[in-house]
Amino acid sequence: MNSIERVEFEAAFLLHAMPYRESSQIIEVLGQHHGRIGLVARGSRRPRSRWKQTLRSFQPMRMSWAGRGTLQTLGAAEATARPLVLTGMRLMAGWYMNELLINLLHRGDPHPDLFAHYGAALAALSEGKELEPVLRRFELVLLAEIGYGLVTDRDAVDAQPLQPERMYAYVADRGPVPAVVGAGDGLVLSGADLLAIGRGDFDRPERLLGAKRLLREKLNWCLGGRSLKTRQVLAAMLSDGVIDGIGA
Amino acid sequence: MHFTPRLQQLLAALRCLPGVGPKSAQRMAFYLLDRDRDGAGELAVALRSALDEVGHCEHCRMFAEQALCTVCADKKRDAGMICIVETPADVIAVDDSGGYRGRYFVLMGRLSPLDGIGPLELGINLLERRLREETITEVILATSATVEGEATAAYIAGLAEKQGIRATRIAHGVPMGGELEYVDSSTLSLALSARTQVPTDAVD
Ligand SMILES: [Zn+2]
Repeated sequence: MNSIERVEFEAAFLLHAMPYRESSQIIEVLGQHHGRIGLVARGSRRPRSRWKQTLRSFQPMRMSWAGRGTLQTLGAAEATARPLVLTGMRLMAGWYMNELLINLLHRGDPHPDLFAHYGAALAALSEGKELEPVLRRFELVLLAEIGYGLVTDRDAVDAQPLQPERMYAYVADRGPVPAVVGAGDGLVLSGADLLAIGRGDFDRPERLLGAKRLLREKLNWCLGGRSLKTRQVLAAMLSDGVIDGIGA
Repeated sequence: MHFTPRLQQLLAALRCLPGVGPKSAQRMAFYLLDRDRDGAGELAVALRSALDEVGHCEHCRMFAEQALCTVCADKKRDAGMICIVETPADVIAVDDSGGYRGRYFVLMGRLSPLDGIGPLELGINLLERRLREETITEVILATSATVEGEATAAYIAGLAEKQGIRATRIAHGVPMGGELEYVDSSTLSLALSARTQVPTDAVD
């Protein structure tokens, strides 16, 4: 932890930037091999900073950094492709994914698969793919990566494989429990729907809706009472009725 | 090293300035108390009276000492145009360019959901009321060329469109005297996408 670490040209995305001192920024980054990292970008707010155009959200890039401890220093940042262009709800979705990553990943924990999924989700959003399934698949992977994945293959009572035709009640901190008729508590889904949700298959509307409710509950639990600012801002925007307009 | 209680208080207060750490706070404090006590007195009075008297224009959110700022109070300015900017410094910059005679609206920031900055924080409800109640023909969006600045511009363009008002975006691109090979690729692609017709009547 205390020796100087040096990382050269790792594929990365910027998640968030905050002003720091007179002309610098503290940036939150998702690196391919180093997971979420905090870096100081010295002088990045100066008018002629070489990073001015590169250090933006949704811009595929490679970064080098060095230092010790949890806040290291950015050495280089080079764009490797055109920025992914997100507009309207898709831009809000991109910001929402960034906020989830910042809130749920510990600095320095590697998540190479998640990095790949994040890039793929951004690409899907910028290509105009249907928004909700993209977000649900990202949430599924994120939760699994941090060790709080949904249980969608076996029941929580005796670890038997889920039976497609059977109904299960999903108990938040345990998983699917065979549903008792008339004891309707919580969300009840068929084994087939749960198995499909686990595969990220949302072909039927009830699967998408079920996944949204299960994931929302689990995410809120993982956030431990912290509310997501992107959700609050989105609510305010929706009340204006021009949300589809936002974005470049 | 021990500072007197009041000196400590002054050092701590100076550090609220951007970029001022313990060392520069000490340098400033010693200078004011030792070398320029008259200047220090003027600074104290000016700061107090600015705090008491300078607020925000109730029309455009620019700094103002009356209900309206000097631009909004100026009857000769074109009331049919609003230029939307992020900061009071941007108002000064656009006005000093000399090419604009309309009015302004200062957002005091830009959309940044991760920082909890949404339409409410930017005073969008006030802007929306102006778009609805005044006779405005054009909204000029002069927010920054960042992801957040573009999102802000598009959001306000949406509001203007709902009222049937034309919204335009200032061009961002190749700076005057800029050699293309030194312009970075995203600036260049922005400049290409915002290209304009070249008038040809001078040639014919
Ligand atoms: Zn004003």
